[in-house]
Amino acid sequence: MLAGLETLRYEERAGVAHVTLLRDRVDVRVVRELAKVSEHLEDDAADVRAVVFRGSNGTFCRGIDFKDFDPNGDFDIHGFNLWEKICARIERLPKATVVLLEGDVIGAGVQLALVCDARLALPSARLQLDEVHLGFLPGMATFRLAKYVGLGRAKRLIMRCPTIGAEEARDLGIVDEIVTDADTGIADAIRSFGPIHTVAVELSRRLLNESFGTSFEDAIGHFLAAQHRSIRQTAFLETVKKQKKPRT
Amino acid sequence: MTAARILSVGTKTPATRYTQEELLDRYGSTDPMIRSLFLQSHIATRYLTLPPLGDDGKPRAETQGELLRKHREGALEIGVGAARTALERAGVTAADIGYLACVTTTGYLTPGLSALFLEPLGLPARTGRVDVVGMGCNAGLNGLQPVAHWAAANPGRFGLLVCVEICSAAYVMDDTVGTAVVNSLFGDGAAAAVIGTTSGPAVLGFESHTITEAVDAMRYDWDDADHKFRFFLDREIPYVIGAHAEAPVERLLSRFGLKRRNVAHWIVHSGGKKVVDAIQYNLGLTSHAVRHTTSVLRDLGNVSSASFLFSYERLLDEGTPHPGDYAVMMTMGPGSTIETALLRF
Repeated sequence: MLAGLETLRYEERAGVAHVTLLRDRVDVRVVRELAKVSEHLEDDAADVRAVVFRGSNGTFCRGIDFKDFDPNGDFDIHGFNLWEKICARIERLPKATVVLLEGDVIGAGVQLALVCDARLALPSARLQLDEVHLGFLPGMATFRLAKYVGLGRAKRLIMRCPTIGAEEARDLGIVDEIVTDADTGIADAIRSFGPIHTVAVELSRRLLNESFGTSFEDAIGHFLAAQHRSIRQTAFLETVKKQKKPRT
Repeated sequence: MTAARILSVGTKTPATRYTQEELLDRYGSTDPMIRSLFLQSHIATRYLTLPPLGDDGKPRAETQGELLRKHREGALEIGVGAARTALERAGVTAADIGYLACVTTTGYLTPGLSALFLEPLGLPARTGRVDVVGMGCNAGLNGLQPVAHWAAANPGRFGLLVCVEICSAAYVMDDTVGTAVVNSLFGDGAAAAVIGTTSGPAVLGFESHTITEAVDAMRYDWDDADHKFRFFLDREIPYVIGAHAEAPVERLLSRFGLKRRNVAHWIVHSGGKKVVDAIQYNLGLTSHAVRHTTSVLRDLGNVSSASFLFSYERLLDEGTPHPGDYAVMMTMGPGSTIETALLRF
């Protein structure tokens, strides 16, 4: 099912999928294996309600490995296209997603964090989008980051490429909270998502992601369609049934 | 068995196009509810054939007889035009056509359009024919089914599908919100496709879904008082369609071992903004995935059975389909009905 992963470790424990990045940089193999993991989570992992992404050896991710980033071998735009596709796919997973940031969180590492629902950091985390200083662009962080932090702060982070610590990342809203113990922090975060009703998780996230770019007139239509889908699900029908029970 | 393939598509609209504002002005509609229905429809323009203005400065009321004649004349004009374009694009002459399916809901006539089209198109006398009448907005796919099956059973020969709707021949104007819902939405248009086995995307299969508990949600009823047919749309339609959208799509895809993410192109009927929203949020489709559906709605309104072929034409014009890409066609209408087809480029 998920055999042959080299760059990731994948484990399922008690309804939670743990995805550990074993390489400190993203190359084409990492992208392919993230796609493999996503496919498994979309199709075959009905029992999994939450997914955790984390690094190894005290580092989350130091960015792109340009030695081997393009699927065609030579270096071109296609590797970036594949990377954006996997980011968007992770952003839409039918699970609650949690990322734990530690040590170096650079470039693609920050981009990956921005597509997760809950972003936790150990005190050791140092975040940087260094792409513009290297002469290229930080992917669709150009699209997502300003929604988290506001335009001015996004310009500073993307154009001046400062390295920021866990506290600043939290104050900016990139990181939700700083945790001192990784496993406890992750478990608390997953617990805080509650029962994780898939449809409500997916649709609330989608409407929020679309909120900055949609007119109210369009958004109200989208909301009603999404709400109608939500209220047909077992989770909500049970809620209504409970509330309708006569008081004794 | 050989797969049927869609060789080409052609479309045609009547000469006159109106913006929603122009229509409100033309009919002198001042009711704020009606104005907001027109202006919030996400429709910018529609092609319509409207009667001349009467003494009161408003379009003259048309009798049912006049409406039926308008349907027949309009259908012949734009239906033949769309068919000629499709034949030309396919590089197929009229003499090569062995089967013709005509689809319309906006007017009843006997003999049907499939007989009336033979002479102007120059189709052979031996052409096999069928008319799909009264099935509504989903009917384009109901019409594609017999043509595709005929083409698959007759490899190397060609069939023609013509969907033609003169929605302005189904107009009732009475300043009520009920008719305004209909009058703010539908437009005239025709689309045709040449089906064969030689080139173009393969038609892999169809899947239907009829929601009988919502049989009354979309109706074209005779109105005794007004002596006209009157179209009725229930406000629950977007929700009915949304709640059932997944079932036929899943059945269709699972027959071919596919998931929704394997579908590169969605060709969805431009039923109305709320219906498109319902499809998008129940199937998890992005706005990009339904871009042609929304642009056809914006430019033409709901052209009933022809709508999805207008979207298909825009997809081809865009040039994005690659060999091997899967596409799903999806149309919704009275019954309540959802029709789907799977294509592979």
